[in-house]
Amino acid sequence: MVVETRDVYTIRLSAINEGRSGQFYMISVPGVGEAPISVASGFGRKIEFTIRDIGSVTARIRHSETVGIRGPYGNGWPWTDYDKIIAVAGGIGFPPVRSLLEEMVDLGRGKDLEVLYGARSPSDLVYKKMLEDWGNTLDVHITVDRVDSGWKGKVGFVPSLLEDTHLGKEAAVFIIGPPLMMMNTVKEALRLGFSEDRMYLSLERRMECGIGVCGHCNVGEFYVCEDGPIFPYSKVKESPELFL
Amino acid sequence: MSVLTVCPYCGTGCQLIVNDPGTGERVIGYSKSPVNHGKLCIKGYSGLSYNFSRERLKHPLIKKNGEFLRVSWEEALNATSTRLLEIIRKFGPDSVAFQSSAKCTNEENYLMQKIARMIGTNNIDHCARSCHSPTATGLITTLGAGAATGSIKSLEESKTYFVIGSNTTEQHPIIGTAVVSGRKNGKNLVVADPRKVQLAEIASIHLQFNPGTDVALLNSIMFVILEEHLEDVEFIKGRTQGFAEFKKEIEKYAPEITEGITGVKPDAIRETARLIAKGKPTSILYAMGITQHIHGTENVMSISNLALLTGNVGVRGAGIFPLRGQNNVQGSSDMGALSEWYPGYVPVDSPKVGYLEDLWKRVLPRKKGLSLSEMFDAAADGSLKAIYVMGENPLVTEAAISDVERGVDNLDLFIVQDIFMTLTAGMADIVLPASTSLEKEGTFTNTERRIQKVNKVYESPGEARPDWWILNEVGRRVAGMSNYGSPEEIFEEIGRSVPSYSGATYDNIYPIGKQWPINSDYPNGTEILHAKSFPIGRGKFVPVRYGPAAETVSEEYNLIMTTGRNYFHYHSGTMSRRADLLSRESPEPYVEISAEDARLLGIKNSQTVTIESRHGSIETKARITDKVPKGVVFVPFHYDESRVNRLVGKALDPLSKIPEFKVVAVRLLV
Amino acid sequence: MSEAFIAISKDFEMFGSVEREGEIIFDRVGEFDEISEGRSRYAPKEFLMQRNENVLLLKQQEKKAVFGVMSCDLKGFYLMDKQVLGKDPFYTERRKNTLFANFVCNEPCEGGFCTSFGGPVLEEYDVQALRSGEKYHLLVSEKYDKYFRNYEREDGAFFSKFKLEFGSKMEALQVDGVENRITWNSGLWKEFASRCISCGACNFSCPTCYCFDLYDDGDERKREWDSCILSGFTSSSAGNNRKDLDERLRQRFYHKFVYFKKSKDEYLCTGCNRCVEDCPVGIDIKEVINHNYSGE
Repeated sequence: MVVETRDVYTIRLSAINEGRSGQFYMISVPGVGEAPISVASGFGRKIEFTIRDIGSVTARIRHSETVGIRGPYGNGWPWTDYDKIIAVAGGIGFPPVRSLLEEMVDLGRGKDLEVLYGARSPSDLVYKKMLEDWGNTLDVHITVDRVDSGWKGKVGFVPSLLEDTHLGKEAAVFIIGPPLMMMNTVKEALRLGFSEDRMYLSLERRMECGIGVCGHCNVGEFYVCEDGPIFPYSKVKESPELFL
Repeated sequence: MSVLTVCPYCGTGCQLIVNDPGTGERVIGYSKSPVNHGKLCIKGYSGLSYNFSRERLKHPLIKKNGEFLRVSWEEALNATSTRLLEIIRKFGPDSVAFQSSAKCTNEENYLMQKIARMIGTNNIDHCARSCHSPTATGLITTLGAGAATGSIKSLEESKTYFVIGSNTTEQHPIIGTAVVSGRKNGKNLVVADPRKVQLAEIASIHLQFNPGTDVALLNSIMFVILEEHLEDVEFIKGRTQGFAEFKKEIEKYAPEITEGITGVKPDAIRETARLIAKGKPTSILYAMGITQHIHGTENVMSISNLALLTGNVGVRGAGIFPLRGQNNVQGSSDMGALSEWYPGYVPVDSPKVGYLEDLWKRVLPRKKGLSLSEMFDAAADGSLKAIYVMGENPLVTEAAISDVERGVDNLDLFIVQDIFMTLTAGMADIVLPASTSLEKEGTFTNTERRIQKVNKVYESPGEARPDWWILNEVGRRVAGMSNYGSPEEIFEEIGRSVPSYSGATYDNIYPIGKQWPINSDYPNGTEILHAKSFPIGRGKFVPVRYGPAAETVSEEYNLIMTTGRNYFHYHSGTMSRRADLLSRESPEPYVEISAEDARLLGIKNSQTVTIESRHGSIETKARITDKVPKGVVFVPFHYDESRVNRLVGKALDPLSKIPEFKVVAVRLLV
Repeated sequence: MSEAFIAISKDFEMFGSVEREGEIIFDRVGEFDEISEGRSRYAPKEFLMQRNENVLLLKQQEKKAVFGVMSCDLKGFYLMDKQVLGKDPFYTERRKNTLFANFVCNEPCEGGFCTSFGGPVLEEYDVQALRSGEKYHLLVSEKYDKYFRNYEREDGAFFSKFKLEFGSKMEALQVDGVENRITWNSGLWKEFASRCISCGACNFSCPTCYCFDLYDDGDERKREWDSCILSGFTSSSAGNNRKDLDERLRQRFYHKFVYFKKSKDEYLCTGCNRCVEDCPVGIDIKEVINHNYSGE
């Protein structure tokens, strides 16, 4: 287990990830319950999950000797459909983007991806070591909302990074993060002239069964666990419950 | 197979049909029931899964060297009886005490009090002490019967509802819906409550008065009724006594004067008085908001005064409705599981006890026993050596918990009979695994005095046994009680012991129950009490003077805390917190606080805060809401990980011995 | 129908609608005559989805035949199929192994509005029976035809004629287009919320509601019928998209009349009226259909 931040940690299992980036698994602690967690590593690598301990299950996974896992569920990022991709992640939304990055790198398409990552503060950044390594070879841009000591990078909300991207307006934009961050990113992307037809959101809802039956994640005519969690913005933009 | 039985939760007594596992474990409301007409609340529909919880107690346990060991029933029963008998032999019968349970059947409550009394002690009490003992004391004084005067069905005929100190839609949801529907159909609704409960939102008037000022509020309403000559002159003349003296007291309570106490504007009081007195018939519904005060009995008598003053007793659609918190509070009180009354509310020092002595063939104790909270004090000072608890969790639900702990620690013998390893059971020397009410037969008496048949749906897990079976075994061993072969045999004896039950049989209360008194004069039971006369002849006005609550705010403790239940949970949560949906809906302890107080204290939603009173402190999460006014916080008592009763003091109502759960001065620390 | 009943009982465990304590409920039955033709008190969806069960074990499902299901209730199961069948192994196994014999009501029931959704004669069925005097007209699906070899076959004409007559006695509501008429900010939702006590009856009684909750209980993982009227239904660490009761009530009706229509081209309602009958405060789904939204 790797401690990422005050309340975020990463666990690595010996099993191979059969999920594509953007998909999720249901992880369970026996006797406590299950929680949906996006896969953080690329397809074919060892499974990793980066988890924020916020609920009864997620707080216990790190202390649990055995965990249950089923999946993968949901769809993945549709990155193979596009030549260029800008992935925008806020906070704990970053792990599925790391998975995307690894997947693209593994297939030799690392250069087609630009990653924008925003966290509340430098101490809230996950994968600090990896971020350094990627910084040398890949396009990863980081910003924080608030600084604490020693930060030399950018300060500001993550949508503001969109302005300086270089992959061009034809790129697909993948967005994942807290509702407010996603809403502002969509707005900014539209303002800058990115096409709404190539914009994708990853939605987070209460999910239990993972197979589109139990009903908790129902939003509009969709079941987030089955039809999502990744949705073309154009398909869900009319949904009044989109951004919580 | 499907079985008709009664919901195990609140005192409404909704009738359920439950299918057994072979036919799909379906739960529906019984549509022929005069109580719930086929309707249920979420606790009825989704609250029964505790029955199949993997945490059910399945075997008797005896603690040895601090650890519970599984033993046989024979061993457990022998240990129970030898150790009890030894203590009785050494220290006398008053050195043992019994805590019965309003969650158990009439038959079981009857057995437990009988065991206590046949041993020679009146140290028998139960949780009615902490909820409706003021109702029994108060209404027996004023009307002659400590029970609801009307029926749930008769609420349909009310023109005005006066709801005071009852969050009816959450605590007695199906009764609450009668009020909601009545209001929707244009009836008047006055809600008096410090919290903005759901009924307050749809009320004609919401009197958001200061906690603990009920008497001042009620007296001022009555002041206006007299001032505007809205009283029922004929009823007062024909049916009551003590009016003149009562009137003299009321004359001191002009709404302009009480405003300083209650915080309620005189106009609202005047309007309320008119609705209650003119919009007849008026039914008055109350619950713990009235009773859980050191003036609880006086509060109840004030309500009785208001009903008598306006002639709202004995008529369909009118009446006084003390809403019972637990499924069988009415019944367990009727059975005499109280330290001052034998079955049928015969005072322990009354010559009428002789009748029971003949029936039970035993000389019976005539001295008042210890009430619930007194039991733990007596244990702490060493005069009480053993307590036998059935289906109660006093380490969570009693006031002044640290004193309860001290008492329990000092006991020679602590026996707990329960369906789960509760916090209290964990402290026991002997734990006896019991069946749930869906696993046994018996009767419950609901809040409208309806005696209802409880039937077995499920098999008990492991070696768990019905409480009546366990008590029968214990009674035979420690009290020389004769053997009962079935709950029905016990019920037949209840009919001989309690006059108001004398006409009830398992056959004739099935399927829809009958309201007591049921006897040769009223073979079909009695829907409306006091229609022609009161058991004490005339209804009694009792002048009640306002006195402040035991605790008041100070600079140090600047908030008033009130405690209670929420919609999803019940008692100490042992059942409801093991029901999936209920526990999901309200998973953790919290304190409700107004936005204004939260802002002043710099508290954010969901933030962990410390609540301190003069008696103790707990940690819990803040929930900012507009339900409570500034200056008041509310904490539910269901959670054993954060026991709010640590904060509640020991002040008791001198008349009924109920602690003041509703007014505690506290402060919040971040 | 006794002969077919006996034939079926050789292969199936037999259940049916029977009267107990004045309620028509579902229980085991030994012979056809025990079955009540009256309207059952509830939709027997527990034959497909248990109210509470361990999902770590899927036992071999016994073959069950359930007689006396109301057409409106059975229609609900066909609607549920569209979301659940093939995905939920428990439901799917039971659905495959359960024979439902539905009775078509001879007369409209009080409050029901099945004609608004194509009832009471169903186009999909296992065994569909319509009483006419002393005899039943039968429609039997191919799957179960072998049990009815000795019975007269219907071509459906009698049923069509009956349906027409029935329709004249129970006027259909104007359901078509409700997905376009209904409004997000209608005052209905707040008015419903002022009365609703969150009992869940509308969900539990509904022959089309299939949502459930998953939870751990010791070494078992259990599912239990859930209710979208409860706040915890949607609350998660990311927040709660339906914090208020009026939003949750709206969701229930939007799911039935807007979302399911969009995704499956069906309304998720059969006109059984059970949610209305079981609601303790008289919230009426018919009001959602009939309400004059544009006039608000």
